Amino acid sequence: MADSRRVVLTGIGALTPLGLDANAFWDALVHCRSGVGPITAFDAKSLPVRIAGEVHGFDAKNYIDKKERKSLRVMARSIQLSVAAAQLALNDGNVDKTQLDPTRFGVEFGAGLIASELEELGEAARVSANCQPGSIDLEKWGAEGLPNITPLWMLKYLPNMLACHVSILHNAQGPSNTITESDVGSTLAIGEAYRILVRGQADFFLVGGGESRLNPLSFSRQCLFQPLSRRNDEPELASRPFDRDRDGMVISEGATVLVMETLEHAQKRGARIYAEVVGFGSAFDRQRSGAGIARAIRNALRDAGIEPEDVDHINAHGLSAVDVDAWEAKGINEVFGDRDPPVKVFAAKSLLGNLGAAAGTTELAASVLALHHGLVPATKNFENRDANCPLAVIAGDPVPATKPYVLKLNFTDMGQCAAIVVRRWE
Amino acid sequence: MRRRVVITGMGAITPLGHSVEELYAAQIEGRSGIGRISLFNAQRFPTQIAAEVKNFDLSRFVKEPQRWVDSGVNSQFAAAAAKQALEDADLLDNTKVDRTRIGVYLGCGEGIQDFHNLVSLIAFNYDADSRLVDTAGFTSGALRYFHPGREAEQELHTSAAHLAAYFDLEGPNFNCLTACAASSQAIGEATEMIRHGDADIMLSGGSHSMIHPLGVTGFNLLTALSTSNDPPSKASRPFDLHRDGFVLGEGSGMLVLEELEHAKKRGAHIYAEIIGYGSTADAFRITDSHPEGRGAAACIRAALQDAGIQPTDVDYINAHGTSTQVNDKVETIAIKQVFGDAAYQVPVSSSKSMLGHLIAAAGAVELITCVMTIQKGVMPPTMNYETPDPECDLDYIPNAAREKTVRCALSNSFGFGGQNISLVVRKFDV
Repeated sequence: MADSRRVVLTGIGALTPLGLDANAFWDALVHCRSGVGPITAFDAKSLPVRIAGEVHGFDAKNYIDKKERKSLRVMARSIQLSVAAAQLALNDGNVDKTQLDPTRFGVEFGAGLIASELEELGEAARVSANCQPGSIDLEKWGAEGLPNITPLWMLKYLPNMLACHVSILHNAQGPSNTITESDVGSTLAIGEAYRILVRGQADFFLVGGGESRLNPLSFSRQCLFQPLSRRNDEPELASRPFDRDRDGMVISEGATVLVMETLEHAQKRGARIYAEVVGFGSAFDRQRSGAGIARAIRNALRDAGIEPEDVDHINAHGLSAVDVDAWEAKGINEVFGDRDPPVKVFAAKSLLGNLGAAAGTTELAASVLALHHGLVPATKNFENRDANCPLAVIAGDPVPATKPYVLKLNFTDMGQCAAIVVRRWE
Repeated sequence: MRRRVVITGMGAITPLGHSVEELYAAQIEGRSGIGRISLFNAQRFPTQIAAEVKNFDLSRFVKEPQRWVDSGVNSQFAAAAAKQALEDADLLDNTKVDRTRIGVYLGCGEGIQDFHNLVSLIAFNYDADSRLVDTAGFTSGALRYFHPGREAEQELHTSAAHLAAYFDLEGPNFNCLTACAASSQAIGEATEMIRHGDADIMLSGGSHSMIHPLGVTGFNLLTALSTSNDPPSKASRPFDLHRDGFVLGEGSGMLVLEELEHAKKRGAHIYAEIIGYGSTADAFRITDSHPEGRGAAACIRAALQDAGIQPTDVDYINAHGTSTQVNDKVETIAIKQVFGDAAYQVPVSSSKSMLGHLIAAAGAVELITCVMTIQKGVMPPTMNYETPDPECDLDYIPNAAREKTVRCALSNSFGFGGQNISLVVRKFDV
């Protein structure tokens, strides 16, 4: 019956600060190469934070059919990255789209707020500015400003357009959803798509996350309220999850899309299988005590029908913020604290920075590849243990993956937690 | 057998009142919530009208309104509607219920951008010759003029987190934003979470306001809004031949969804049962729905199939009915495709004729309207239906509410980008 429907991962499309496909991504992970550097996307000299993880050399035209290219004009960078990553995932999964039933083909994304490109409002702003700062003449804006803005302006920035463009480009007529829940968005998207596949409302899914905050408006907003690292002179050393000397997170951009399908569907089309999705759990950590993180983990383990000792490594949220990492360690140890030897922990953000809405799918891809290659990458910049983060962080060199299961964890600054369990495919 | 999901609490903050009772009574009277925009000076915008929530005071609903002091009205409306719904379901401070089994799934919109500071910073740093903005100047101004707390509260996960933290709801926590389908999708997926056993209770619904300069700008540029500014109450005219776009509304609708046995065991009042959920994509265009209603029809069909009912079992349809030329025509086609000849027997009405379009919150408020229709046996009208459109030839309950025993109601929500959601609710029978 429905519960016997198994779900497997068969394709990875990754556009990240570590490179323009999943191979480059994996190569950088195992060689511990950081994707963090000085900001080049815009002039950041006035900002207290001038480092980020950028996707270099990305040109959306390389990923999209000629006849569809005009639609790139109505896609903000978050959307372009997502559309391109979806194409890479289909390529990597060796998917012949003509063989898919469009009505059984779903799309789900994690997305965030998308900031307007400033120039698009430039003329409208100019004609309606008052002499006073912070005040716009709304009558001028309404009458003379509006005609100076491109008609489809708003559609370029709607968070659901990541999924919508992907569904349009690939004729995916099944369920489509967009989870907008900050750093846990695409983790929840994976969980929800997994549930939808199991309950039988689709057979094939593209599940992704995409976000770029590497523009003047988003980035300056983030500087106002996020705990960001100020290690501007040593960008590669800035993201240091669980390390004693961490001083904040690094903002990055990117998109990762995963092909998820039922086992039956994958076998019928002869797909190469990376891993199986076997568990999902979510919860709210009201007191920021770790109790909610622990509950999400336990729910996911129970859903997978496994025990803590079956887990090869935890792919942590590992934000690199002082209090958040300690909070996470408490949650992990509530479930895994008595393991001997302790469970290994990998923090992908040490290499990638924080991709926000794209963090979940991107970071999970690292562990899916780790299971596939039998090798777990090391956490960069983990040099000195912090007594507030008593975890067995993998540091230095990659270590062999010896057990079949990985636990992926993400949560938001306000306490929304999600955990995914995947199993090595054998 | 799968776990059954019932509705045990409801709350609403809308242009037609600050409670479910007021919302429903106003619709039955055919009252319009639409007037001239008072929230900002819209006198020279193509559209100068909207359905605003009036006289809203969060402190009348929650003891600690200061939690939301930096929040947009999206989060504030959500807090008030959530409080009503949870109180209605006897879940406020109720420690007899396991709080870790109560989750939140919202389709809540974004907070409101600091328009004046944003646009004046652009203007100040804009070079008209090169048409470029000096980003160093812009960012240094942004750090100086933007308010950190209000900027943080614009983020899309904050509304759902505040509800979970304030009302002690420690289960799964989601927010989806699929344009005009968001809160319906949230309710559908929350239903699935209870069915699957991820939670026993879900607080679900939506909240949104796009009645602000950039919101009206964006929709005006798309020519999606009605520009029939005078009189405002006549502007939203779903299915009428002379409809010319939708009218923006704002507000929140919240429902408490609960697993049936859980609700029975604690003696909760059961309003209705959610029996069907359909979700599809048009996969057609970002601007228009599929001309033959392909995605919409598949969605309605999926919801009926999920409910295990036939089209003839549906007593009332609360339409998406936006009052745009395309939506109302395509929705009519889709209903006819699924219902066949029976389409002419099932009454259809659009709450948006009175409420305007609450965007992400629309679906939740309209589902609440369906539940009240089942409770009271009176279907709300489609107002301003004056000139029939030959392409829209169903029974739209024109201009006056109508009595009918409604056991089973269908609610449609279709969003920009081709996102379709249908929900089916039924009178609860033991």
